[in-house]
Amino acid sequence: MEEWYGYAGRILRVDLSRGKIASEPLDREAARNYLGGTGYAAKLMWDELRPGVDPLSPDNLLIFATGPLTGTPFPVSGSYDLVFKSPLTGIWGEARSGGFFGPRLKFAGYDFLVVSGRAEKPVYLWIRDGEAEIRDASHLWGRGTHETARMILEEEALRDVSVACIGPAGERLVRFAAVVEENDRVAGRCGGGAVMGSKNLKAVAVSGMGEIKVAKPREFEKALDEVREAAYNFKKATVFAEYGTPGIVEPLNEAGAFPTRNFQTCYFEKAHEIGGEALVKRYLIKRRACFACLIGCGRHTEVRLGPYPAPAHEGPEYETIDMFGGQLLIDDLAAIVRANYLCNDYGLDTISTGNVIAFAVEAYERGLIPEELRGGLTLRWGDPATLFELIEAIAFKRADLGELLAEGVRRASAKLGGGAREIAVHVKGLETPAHDPRGTSRAFAIQYAVGNRGGCHTHPNWTGLWDFGKLDAGLKPHGLPWPPISRFDEKEVEKRAKAVKLFALHGLCAEILGFCRFFVENNEGACATPRILANFTSALTGFDIDEFELMRISERVFNLQRCFNVREGVRRKDDALPKRFFEPVKSGPTKGQYVKNFDGLLEAFYREAGWDPETGVPTKAKLKELGLEYVADQIPAP
Amino acid sequence: MPRALFWKDFIRLVNSEICMKTLVALPERCTGCQRCVLACSYAHAQSFSPSKSRIWVVRAKRRIDYPIFCNQCGLCVGACPAGALSRDAKTGAVVVDEEKCVGCGFCVRACPWGLIVLDSETGKAIKCDLCGGDPACVKECPEAALLFVDLNEAASAKRSLLVRLLGE
Repeated sequence: MEEWYGYAGRILRVDLSRGKIASEPLDREAARNYLGGTGYAAKLMWDELRPGVDPLSPDNLLIFATGPLTGTPFPVSGSYDLVFKSPLTGIWGEARSGGFFGPRLKFAGYDFLVVSGRAEKPVYLWIRDGEAEIRDASHLWGRGTHETARMILEEEALRDVSVACIGPAGERLVRFAAVVEENDRVAGRCGGGAVMGSKNLKAVAVSGMGEIKVAKPREFEKALDEVREAAYNFKKATVFAEYGTPGIVEPLNEAGAFPTRNFQTCYFEKAHEIGGEALVKRYLIKRRACFACLIGCGRHTEVRLGPYPAPAHEGPEYETIDMFGGQLLIDDLAAIVRANYLCNDYGLDTISTGNVIAFAVEAYERGLIPEELRGGLTLRWGDPATLFELIEAIAFKRADLGELLAEGVRRASAKLGGGAREIAVHVKGLETPAHDPRGTSRAFAIQYAVGNRGGCHTHPNWTGLWDFGKLDAGLKPHGLPWPPISRFDEKEVEKRAKAVKLFALHGLCAEILGFCRFFVENNEGACATPRILANFTSALTGFDIDEFELMRISERVFNLQRCFNVREGVRRKDDALPKRFFEPVKSGPTKGQYVKNFDGLLEAFYREAGWDPETGVPTKAKLKELGLEYVADQIPAP
Repeated sequence: MPRALFWKDFIRLVNSEICMKTLVALPERCTGCQRCVLACSYAHAQSFSPSKSRIWVVRAKRRIDYPIFCNQCGLCVGACPAGALSRDAKTGAVVVDEEKCVGCGFCVRACPWGLIVLDSETGKAIKCDLCGGDPACVKECPEAALLFVDLNEAASAKRSLLVRLLGE
């Protein structure tokens, strides 16, 4: 058998319709060209998923993807990406989760788990060291994610096991249902939980004791020393270790970059009540880390007393705090922690849930929700009761309103009609998260518009790093314009487009190599620069890759994912922003800001990316340059 | 019972520089990241595998992430019929002589804490050897939850450990 370094070297395939399990070796050429994670998975999706497939049908694929760095002591390597066609957006769907599942899948001998088909009755998948079996899950069906994981862990008490599972929301095919790991680590976005639910797959449990080998030990040790030092510098330079991601609540709010009241404004007067410091002081039990992470942003949190108790779990992230706090004007942190716990337990994406609830409250305020839909509910800003009622209604598709909102903000607003579309904040159907092109950085105007999974802050990167963060991420050798322009600038579109593209491709490296993207977010010397990543990957895998080659692989993957979307019908008209981002911010330090030159920004990005300015389809020349000729033949010419 | 020091061991002790430090863990500081596991695996097998590690991290509810490793008590030494286990006179660690080990697993049975196991590949016993007096896990720990410290300081930490764990 061929030796693999860095990789486990095999793909596990499970066809739930036929009850068949098979495994196959990884394709070395594809691994060299796409590395791993969402890169290799993009190739699988392109090759194997017929265009136009209904995401909730048995034909959809669900890929649990790790990268070569996953499970190694690369400082943030506890990671897996879920890849599928999204039931929320109808296009490329992916969601990343930290925790221990990814490393354990690799230690069990598989880089990828590809699930297809649909089981006749609820099942879960049990994987251990090169073996797998499909097991009955009727005793788990209907249970929350915490109980599901606990029951499987108790059944397998003699091993170290990770469980990725869905809750009632995924079972009921809520379009933004999430997949939750036993430590409250969540692959949240795009509705992977609904895809699992549609396959009658309640959980995947994995235990592994196998090994990951190193190709060039001497170079590897040097590369590890370098990346470890950068990680410690990152830890010192950021708030994540001390306050977790909630540590950025107050700084962003003070900068007028904290989306509030369904994106009507970017400033929340009570932000200090729900920030990272408040969370640490009141509810933190201890910091907990994902596998191999020396930063440790995880907030192991508990609310013991008061009206909104929450059992010990890994508490809310920045996004959750904004989507349930600022967006709904809720200033009671305990309520937010409890809402986070409930969403994790039901298996809901907190970003989409918060967004769609804020939409519902505004729609109610404007009289857009008809009496018969409301079912006696009164929806109010700043009211935790509204939040809890709607979370339950959505997770269990209870009453008409719950059923409506469980479809996501795009479908819900279309059904309500009459101006509801204008207050629905999404791109390509993905509810936009807690960053705003107006208040944070115009970079998000481009990122939200062209992101392959729709309006997302983290895929492929938080591109405001350049102008909002004044960070270089080691991208200067790649032509990053320096110094950065003002974060509100829309005139120097070329510079902005160049920066967005470089940061996007850099961020994508994290998904392809299989580590946590936070660690690409800082300056040279304090983050995983392309050079550090290339050195580490080369020494680990034995592939000879320099930093420019790595960024080229990233661009290849970015374009392949784009072409996947083009094949599903995405064109320039879909690269659009919601109306709200063209309305002035109503208050705070960024009052009056709005996006003025969207077409200019978008066209500049198309030029930079080598995409056709009329259609937004990657040009033949670009695809050829990236070695994607076979893709160019299968999509309409621009 | 732990084997007593033989006279020749004693001579070696006197002649060598005895390491007056030992390994201790502070579970409150541990975030459960398992970098120690990876470092241990690499130090002993030049690869990354939970099955090659001589240290484990147990995550329990609420506050506990506990790195667990052999405390070098020596119960296994007496259990070994092949004479493969002995105490390293410099570090005080009980070490395995791979040549002599026959893989019978009597040591695994004897250890009350599950801190000596059989290697899944070679079938021979593997356990913490304190890396010859410079433990790789301690260097890799990002939270100073694993310490290689003066014997009396370690004793002090151990005394309160049980009480702290019970207090959970």
